[in-house]
Amino acid sequence: MVTPKLDIDHIRGERAERDSDRLVIENERTTYRILSKSVREYHFIVPYDSYQDRVEVGQIFSIRDRDLTFLARILNIEHSSNYDGHWDTTMRGTQFYDDDQIFNRVIAEPLGCVSSDGAFRKARTLPTKFSPVERAEKEEFGFLKSAMGDIEVGYLRNGSILVEDIPVSLHSNAMDHHMGVFATTGMGKSNFMKVFAASCMRLAARGESKFGLLIVDPHGEYLKGKDLTRGLVHLKRYREGLACYSTDPKNASDPDVEELAIAESNIRPEDIALLYDWSPPQRDALDAISRILDSGSWLEEIQRPEGLARMVQDGFKDTTIMVLIRRIKNELERNKYIKKRSSLDNIIARLQKGDVVLVDIPRISDRSELFLLSVLSRHILEEYKKDPSGERKNCLITIEEAQRVLGGGNNISRFESIAREGRKFGVGLCAITQQPKLIDRQLLSQFNTLVVMGLGDRNDRQQLEESAKQDLSSMDIEIQTLEKGEAVVSTLKIPFPVPAKIHRFEDYLRRLNQEEKDEGLIKRGGFKPFLP
Amino acid sequence: MKIIHLADSHLGFSSYSRLDEHGQNRIEEMVYSGFEKAIEQIIRAHPDAVVHAGDVFHHVRPKIKPLFIFQRGLQRLVEAAIPVIIISGNHDAPKSFNQTSPFRLFEGLRDVHIAQRYSYERFEVGDHCFHCIPFCSEPQDYLTEFGEIKRSGRDVLVMHGMVESLKNQKMRSVGEHELNDSLLKSDFDYIALGHYHGQAQVSANAYYSGSVEYFNFGEARDVKGMLLVDLETGKASNVPVKPNYMIDHPPIDCSGMRSDEIAEIIMDMCHEDEISDRMVRINLKNVNRVAYRSIDQGKLNRLGGAAIYFKIRLDFCDEEDRIERPVDRRMLHVDFAGFLGERRSANLIPETIKDEVVSYGTEIMKKAVLARQKETTDAP
Repeated sequence: MVTPKLDIDHIRGERAERDSDRLVIENERTTYRILSKSVREYHFIVPYDSYQDRVEVGQIFSIRDRDLTFLARILNIEHSSNYDGHWDTTMRGTQFYDDDQIFNRVIAEPLGCVSSDGAFRKARTLPTKFSPVERAEKEEFGFLKSAMGDIEVGYLRNGSILVEDIPVSLHSNAMDHHMGVFATTGMGKSNFMKVFAASCMRLAARGESKFGLLIVDPHGEYLKGKDLTRGLVHLKRYREGLACYSTDPKNASDPDVEELAIAESNIRPEDIALLYDWSPPQRDALDAISRILDSGSWLEEIQRPEGLARMVQDGFKDTTIMVLIRRIKNELERNKYIKKRSSLDNIIARLQKGDVVLVDIPRISDRSELFLLSVLSRHILEEYKKDPSGERKNCLITIEEAQRVLGGGNNISRFESIAREGRKFGVGLCAITQQPKLIDRQLLSQFNTLVVMGLGDRNDRQQLEESAKQDLSSMDIEIQTLEKGEAVVSTLKIPFPVPAKIHRFEDYLRRLNQEEKDEGLIKRGGFKPFLP
Repeated sequence: MKIIHLADSHLGFSSYSRLDEHGQNRIEEMVYSGFEKAIEQIIRAHPDAVVHAGDVFHHVRPKIKPLFIFQRGLQRLVEAAIPVIIISGNHDAPKSFNQTSPFRLFEGLRDVHIAQRYSYERFEVGDHCFHCIPFCSEPQDYLTEFGEIKRSGRDVLVMHGMVESLKNQKMRSVGEHELNDSLLKSDFDYIALGHYHGQAQVSANAYYSGSVEYFNFGEARDVKGMLLVDLETGKASNVPVKPNYMIDHPPIDCSGMRSDEIAEIIMDMCHEDEISDRMVRINLKNVNRVAYRSIDQGKLNRLGGAAIYFKIRLDFCDEEDRIERPVDRRMLHVDFAGFLGERRSANLIPETIKDEVVSYGTEIMKKAVLARQKETTDAP
């Protein structure tokens, strides 16, 4: 028996030819037809072996129906046919199926519809049967441009194809409503944060920012980058939008990086309380400190015999106080940045001005980081509470590994209070975590902006889907299959969760550094005001 | 090595129109005598160096007298073999290229080092290296100039400007001649700062010496003098030059008081021995305008003759009705932007140039306000 030689190119050519027979080609664009099914679910079919135009989960298609253009996102793709029963597993010789009878059924969810005047709204009707379906292009996404905000983070992605004309940008105004960045390791969280910060720096330097961004970086990767990556200081074009504070002497030797200093008077007993598990008497003693000792100098006082005596006089056991003192001494010893001087006022001033404030604390222990974060966030909330309606800008506090402080338990109180009441005073949280499942569900439901970048764990996705303000449940497959640098951005001001490709920081940096200075007349002209 | 750190002499400063028996401005003369006292103190203490951290002169083009006073003082230090390090400040640095720095007159003197060229200069004096960053024309220049510094291991930094954290604490307005806190590195043995007129420690190793004189009533609570610094230990101690001569009385509420009661309060505060050779301000609030006018004005005018300067600041109780809102010169650009906004919304600015008018106009006003402030209000 002679085995026929397989000519792959020939077969592909034949298939392509068949495809072209079956597709309706209009203006050289692949067009399918809507078949069914309801207001909540659209179906259309594509050739089962199409080599020309493979469809993917997450892709967005547009369906034109007279004055409306419906947009739909692919949820799933199934094998389907016009045959009944087990026809495909029944042996009938070589030719047991007819090409025209089998196909892939594409199931898509409607995102909404765009009317002829460019306005987008939710779809309350369904497109007429056999309306043409085609991959949405930049014209169809045009309405998104106006819905986007001012903090650019990436480009719109349709499946794995970039739509570079439509940048995905978050809204400054939504930032006091908290934000969550969720991704497993290596999916590009740090890259995202750097891009986000760079966009904020750009706004700040142009005097257009609406909030100050605080980033506490325990990994030492945002300031100057790590290994081959670059850092925020490399964004020279908009450098004035960034204020840097560092505990690392090498980084702090730069003229524009301030040595981080927290004054002893900035520290309160509750900051220490956050760090250890305390017995009830110890906790009582901690609570009583601010009543018994001077709130500005308690740290010094309690370490002196007179301070100890005053605490004992108030009925606390000296052994209890000794434990407090020992732990306090440990903390002071561990946190060398506690000095007479304080950077806190500068940090607050820069945040209120709308700048990006980077606190670089490389090689610092987990406990010290928490401690610092606690002092900073308490101070910020207190300052913002003092002046809720002033001219100052809002503030967004970034918390890395947020599940440590937003996951319930004793540690939660400080950050929980920011999550719950911060909004009233213009203070928002940006929680970054790999494990959203560990974050308190109620808190998660307060997050208005979510950036999801690939979560393998089913429980993580479920937690997000259940708590998010926009419906993410239908995007489960897409979130699971996101690749590095890809994200789904859900924020209230953008009408549906948007698939995005986050900019690679180094590329974005290059682009921003080359941006023309928007100098305006004042700097271009030779006119100088006359000053007597 | 021990140094004396002083700053903000503002030679040539004159204020209030009180003249002495020779027809000279009393405040101006007081500033000269204060400077000479400071020189005497320095010679007595005989440090290894003197650092003047800016604003020797109050004006870019000082009159002959301040130049003479300074030259005489400098000469005495040179004769006493005390090396002098000076930087220019915002008051005595020319702001345009057609002007010449007054410090050019003092170039070439033995052991007198003056940094006045808007750029970093380094002087080795004794066993220390003095890194001087004088007044720079653009705020970002300070970072660049600082980047030029090469540490020797025994370093002193000298700068002039308002440190960011002090500005934030004092709630000072924008437009100050500002220095980032990031320049206050802990590896300097000492950082000598000028510009702020109160003595203040801003970090473990950075100090404002403050000025010797009081230049306005806002400084009434400041500590004045010079600092004697031991560079080995980093310890800085105050060297007072003059006793505290400024009294700014806390406001007295005069609501419902008759003219004789108000007069009595004023007289009580004006005993000659209490105000003699001092600058005194009495603050009265909620004063009835009619009651105040009926006090014998001639008598009021004769009050405070023994003082260097004497003022009664009045806050009349009907003030609020008469004036809607005080105009803050520093916020003029905000008011102006508001004004343009109104004109714009009323369509009084042609459509095609609307944006340009608003941005250009606001920016011009802002620049003018800031420049004006730099010239005049950030120091006395």
